[in-house]
Amino acid sequence: MRRFSLSWQAGLWAMLLPYLVGTLLLVGLPALMSAILAFTTYDALTPPVFVGFANFRLLAADPIVTTAIGNSLVFILLAVPLRILGALGLALLLLRPRRGVSGYRAAAYVPTVIPDVAFALIWLWIFNPLFGPVNVALGALGLPQPGWLADAETARYPFVVMSVFQIGEGFVVLLAALRGLPREYFDAGAVDGAGRWGSFRYLTLPLLLPWLALLTFRDIILTFQWTFTPSFVMTGGDPYYATMFLPLLTYEEAFDRFRFGAGSALMLITFLLSAAIIGGIYLLFRRRGYTADV
Amino acid sequence: MSEPRGGGCAGLLTGHLLPVLVAALFLLPLLWMITTSLREAGLPPPRTIEWLPESPSGDNYAAVFELLPFGRYLFNSLAVVTLAVPLTIITASMAGFAMALLERRSRVALVVLSVALLMVPITALWLTRFLLFSWIGLTDSLLALAVPSLAGSSPLFVLLFYWTFRRVSPDIFEMAHLDGAGAISVWRRIALPNALPTTIAVAVLTFILYWSDFISPLLYLRDQGLYTLPLGLRQLQQLDPTDWPLLMAGAVMLTLPAVLFFLVVQHLFLGERGFSGRRR
Repeated sequence: MRRFSLSWQAGLWAMLLPYLVGTLLLVGLPALMSAILAFTTYDALTPPVFVGFANFRLLAADPIVTTAIGNSLVFILLAVPLRILGALGLALLLLRPRRGVSGYRAAAYVPTVIPDVAFALIWLWIFNPLFGPVNVALGALGLPQPGWLADAETARYPFVVMSVFQIGEGFVVLLAALRGLPREYFDAGAVDGAGRWGSFRYLTLPLLLPWLALLTFRDIILTFQWTFTPSFVMTGGDPYYATMFLPLLTYEEAFDRFRFGAGSALMLITFLLSAAIIGGIYLLFRRRGYTADV
Repeated sequence: MSEPRGGGCAGLLTGHLLPVLVAALFLLPLLWMITTSLREAGLPPPRTIEWLPESPSGDNYAAVFELLPFGRYLFNSLAVVTLAVPLTIITASMAGFAMALLERRSRVALVVLSVALLMVPITALWLTRFLLFSWIGLTDSLLALAVPSLAGSSPLFVLLFYWTFRRVSPDIFEMAHLDGAGAISVWRRIALPNALPTTIAVAVLTFILYWSDFISPLLYLRDQGLYTLPLGLRQLQQLDPTDWPLLMAGAVMLTLPAVLFFLVVQHLFLGERGFSGRRR
């Protein structure tokens, strides 16, 4: 912008100020604080006391913490691939303009805008072992009726199912990405005799990979923290900690037991764990020759 | 792409049959919530799948207001949204506009920063954010719920405005600047009026974000007089966790505004042009 003056530049930076300063105060500062508090004991009444790695040692020895970490990881492993595949499937199915398609698209997005508490209550009803529609339908078909949320063996599956209903964001992103694919490639592919599967496998998928990678990164974080409201409202972490996830444990540690130091340590673990997973997947994509640059 | 041009069995299957089934599946939770909420109070739970209660009744909706001060909660929710939505539009569009017009290096750095911020797990911040808010006396106030709107509410909204303004030719802004207009007045007089679809879309997304917010009020509010609707619904569940028609009536009241607003603007996200700030 060579013809723009200095005062214009200053004006632009001034307009960025609320965003940048606000982010610094609401994200940067709390992150820094939790990195410090994680090495203290703090009950919000008396000043924090430095304790070194004691919080981490105590957490590592606590079987509930390991259970919560395991549950969170298993949940991500089950939910994220299903969510990404679901979003991709929806986008491919509902891409082509035709009569009624806007209605189908809207319907697929609707669960995503249902407020979390309401969504959790609906699914608590749907998976009610006695009267919920799922078990009533299974019973009518003569199939076994699992205890779902009441049974430690099956408790995580309702969470996975309901998370796969809220994939509107990924669906919209992939819809836009598919529309943005250069048509010429596909025309050339058709000339070369690529069938539907061939053009999907060798053109659509590789071109979409950066988007899928970005979505996967974001979805891991999103899914990780998404578990809070359902586990808080539907199960409280029961039965036998089968639905105890890291966000719920952090909440209980801090707001039920007022152990802000241990809570901060858990947040730090959450943070590092997410970073490690994302880093790992990034390397995986990287090795295949793609980067997530946008 | 090599899509079938209509006709044929496969065309009908992926063209309409499968989409109809998928759409029905995704509407099922909403449908069950509504039909269950209309079930007469006091009846034993159904033993078959009920698509519509025999004698639908709205009594459960009235009962919610009798059990809890839902009117008060509704007012609080509306107060938060009324504050947060306009503030978000202003801060997010200013930031997006400025980003779009900065020189390349700063622009790229800010986009990368915003995308990285999308990846920050909020659950890794809420505890210390709570401590910060309580130190400056912001807890137990509706303001605490609306504070993120001072920073654009979400990096996503800033990015949406950024992409919209990037599509507008910078010449238009440059001309206004040469006429002596400052950055803020170009944003207010030229950029924002030309970004109406994005503005509406972000307004609705912001509404849904704050309207649905359960975690912030849970963390920051102790005074029941300040509760918003999501906390009210949680309270309803604690009062009677087995009165499903009553709970679903509460859930419907919380859900419908969000769904209706979304349906009004869904073409901006899902239409053929996708997210577009292009002027007609």
